[in-house]
Amino acid sequence: MWGWLFGRLARAAGVAWLITSLVFIVSRQLPGGPDQLVVADLSELGRPVAADQSVASQQAARLAVRRRLGLELPVFYVTHRANQWYWHGPANQYHRWAVAVLHGDLGRSYRDGQPVGALLWQALRFTLPLAASAAGLAAGLALGLGLYLARRPGSPGARLLVGLLNGLQITPLFLVALGLLLLFANPDLLNLLPAAVQTPTEDGGQLLAYWLGRAALPLVSLVLAVLPELTLPLAAALRHEATTGYATTARAKGLPLGQVLRRHALPNALLPLLTTLTDLLPALVAGTVVVEVLFAFPGSGRLLAEAAAAHDYPLVVAGVLLTALARLLGLLLADILYFLIDPRLRPS
Amino acid sequence: MNYFWLGSLLTLLVSACSAPPAKQASSPITIRWSRDPSTLDPLALPNPSAIDAANLLHMALLATDFQANKYAPALAQTLPQVRVLADSLTALDYELRQAATWDDGRPVLATDVDFTLKLLHCPGLPNEGNRAQYGFIREVRLDPVNPRRFTLVCRGRGEEIMIASGDFPILPESALDPAHTLRYLPLAKLQAWPAARPPAPAVAALVQRYRQANLAREPSHLPGCGPYRLTAWDTNHQLRFRRKAHWWADKVQSAPPVLQARPQELVFAVLPDDDATALALRRHEIDVYPQVPARIFQQLQASPKARAEFAFYSQPSYDILTAGFNTRRPILRDKRVRQALSCLFDPAGLSTATQLGQGRRTVGLLPPGSPFYNDSLSLPSLAPDRAMTLLRQAGWQRRADGHWWQPGATHPLALSVRYRTEETTFATTALQFQAAAARIGITVTLLPAESSALTTALQAGDFDVYVRLLKGSPLGFNFATFLHSSTIGNGNLTGFSTPLTDHLLLAIPAEGDARRKRLLLRRLQVVLRDEMPLLPLFYLPTRLVVNRQLQHVVPSGLKPGYALTALSWSDAATPLANSQ
Repeated sequence: MWGWLFGRLARAAGVAWLITSLVFIVSRQLPGGPDQLVVADLSELGRPVAADQSVASQQAARLAVRRRLGLELPVFYVTHRANQWYWHGPANQYHRWAVAVLHGDLGRSYRDGQPVGALLWQALRFTLPLAASAAGLAAGLALGLGLYLARRPGSPGARLLVGLLNGLQITPLFLVALGLLLLFANPDLLNLLPAAVQTPTEDGGQLLAYWLGRAALPLVSLVLAVLPELTLPLAAALRHEATTGYATTARAKGLPLGQVLRRHALPNALLPLLTTLTDLLPALVAGTVVVEVLFAFPGSGRLLAEAAAAHDYPLVVAGVLLTALARLLGLLLADILYFLIDPRLRPS
Repeated sequence: MNYFWLGSLLTLLVSACSAPPAKQASSPITIRWSRDPSTLDPLALPNPSAIDAANLLHMALLATDFQANKYAPALAQTLPQVRVLADSLTALDYELRQAATWDDGRPVLATDVDFTLKLLHCPGLPNEGNRAQYGFIREVRLDPVNPRRFTLVCRGRGEEIMIASGDFPILPESALDPAHTLRYLPLAKLQAWPAARPPAPAVAALVQRYRQANLAREPSHLPGCGPYRLTAWDTNHQLRFRRKAHWWADKVQSAPPVLQARPQELVFAVLPDDDATALALRRHEIDVYPQVPARIFQQLQASPKARAEFAFYSQPSYDILTAGFNTRRPILRDKRVRQALSCLFDPAGLSTATQLGQGRRTVGLLPPGSPFYNDSLSLPSLAPDRAMTLLRQAGWQRRADGHWWQPGATHPLALSVRYRTEETTFATTALQFQAAAARIGITVTLLPAESSALTTALQAGDFDVYVRLLKGSPLGFNFATFLHSSTIGNGNLTGFSTPLTDHLLLAIPAEGDARRKRLLLRRLQVVLRDEMPLLPLFYLPTRLVVNRQLQHVVPSGLKPGYALTALSWSDAATPLANSQ
């Protein structure tokens, strides 16, 4: 078992590294770049310098930006130009980045020169609790609703619930979040929850209460967004399990349907739910951009989206690395949970 | 403890439902920013939020007077005296204000200006944009008698040189270079320093100290001479600035508007979404909402409650919505084709559709209120019949299939339009052009792109027509950067140039006489209208919504759209009379 686990971990790390390396190399091939953003746009009127000087100095400035950020080096060990391959040795951007990452240094942001690790951690402090709470709450709700739908299939309540869940599933997240915002933070309707009120200057309880209030609507948005994809398959699996031989036997022995579902059918029906839940793990790292933008939540989704728009490669690449690791660890976690729930699946 | 948190949460919810509290004079003013400044390094201010913040922490020689929409002396006692030294050299004589001091009480001196200009050219610092912008200042001559007097020797001539020479934050030499090591290194030598050569030891040491100061995140590590201090910065959430109790300009008799700092505390809330911002405004979580989109502005104005609580301002900015034609394309080389295509844009309709009809139409690259505006030209308008006439004059014929063909051509007349995706005004303009062109048989393909991809495509000449903003200003007339032949492929995206326009473009900024400058500018507008490399559609409006309890609101067409430090809370919460 341990050998299998270490093998999977090593494979996950290798795949994450490969994905990140690809993103690293591809990002350097994109049009534009940080130098384009640092140097001002020449189409701005009222610039005082003579035209010829302006162009020359702009080009020199862009070159200086690339030099300062280390972008003047070749991207990889080899490059292909004019039908010929060139070997650059370790004097390339990828080598420097890889050595730094292996030493625990994710680099510095191009925009403000701050360590990428610190920037990511700062944003994850908001995103992790939000996304983890949403995942936990949604899983709990899905269990309850799934059992209810399996117990009372075809009842008016179940039909209404399925209709609502289907409606939610086809509604884009931004629409759900905007609807909640317009409903619960609107002076013309229900002015209940804060949209963007200032952070209290005091620490402690007041600050915690402030963030709980601020997180309420984003949390509900996320829960509503994932609830259908957790609940509907679980309900379907439970209904299927309820028709199997062991469930019929249990019922024939006098066990109520609710207990049959909870004690016997649920462990078998949980497997698809676990896969969907572990699929949510990358969102814990990458954040949920839509919700963070709409509710002005300073999380990692916004950080990475803005970094991508600003060609802040070190931050983007670090975000991809963490997201890929979370994704692969999520898959590994799903496998381990499968083994725990169903011993027949364990590796021999 | 749990009950305490629950109580705090309930208090927060209840307070959210209750009426907004009356504001005291010392209450913070909360302003919406659409994005975080990312960095507050005075050498690298990459976005409007960063520039706003830097203007609170630091001061420049000159600053924008939003009431007059012109530059006014800030650290400088007066506007500089201009002396022409040679054909291409100008001397600007400055004197700093006697009262100007740093936070540590030291006076702001000419040596600080000299030091700042050298810092702007030190290799290894994030100052590349500044090097390009201020490379025209070649030398700083210090007055041997008066430590506050100095002369900037600049390359070039004209009013624009004077304005730009005072438009950078002055930094303290004593904090960053206490041993004055940079004084012995001439500015011109730093500017001409070869990129491959290692920096001088003094420069390397200074760069090291500057990096260690981490001014990007910790601006308090450097004494400033601006009116505010940064007290808190939660990335992507909010920034707080508190006014200095004893700011040097408080001692200036009858301080001009640029030296006024009324708010005791300023809070900038980073709210990226406009709908959420409108709700935050309605809930009095923010007090000032600048750069309001037309749709939100209209919705707020439609609400009687919002009208009672907020004052609404709208006025033309200096940003021009422009369509440009790639004159390097064979089909667009003929000016009659460009003129014909320009007749397919509907500036009036577009202004109504995208800007509530508040866009200010123009004949050229100057605002209609400017004394240099050529009012003898007619405003561009939608004229499909004239477009067809012009196409026929250019040798195009409309065939039975409805498309336009040139003799011997293998393809009919068809074009692509590139524009930035994020802004609906661009998309609407491109769609309107596409529809008008389709009506007369011209196929137009729309190619929206992300900002940097668009810039790359435009600079590579990979477009037929573009729609974009020209960011303008009433403070300068250097159009050479995007119309001169020497800037083709860089600023000059259309690839257009003629000897006449090249001459006019270089003569205008150098001309000191107002009457002759007016003639040159009017002539340029006529030539550009005839050649039609680009079509200015209209000046975009800038919209501002503020809490009615705020007074001294000075809306402006210049960024950020109002005078930030002029604002203050009125004692009586009576609505202001001057709202529009």
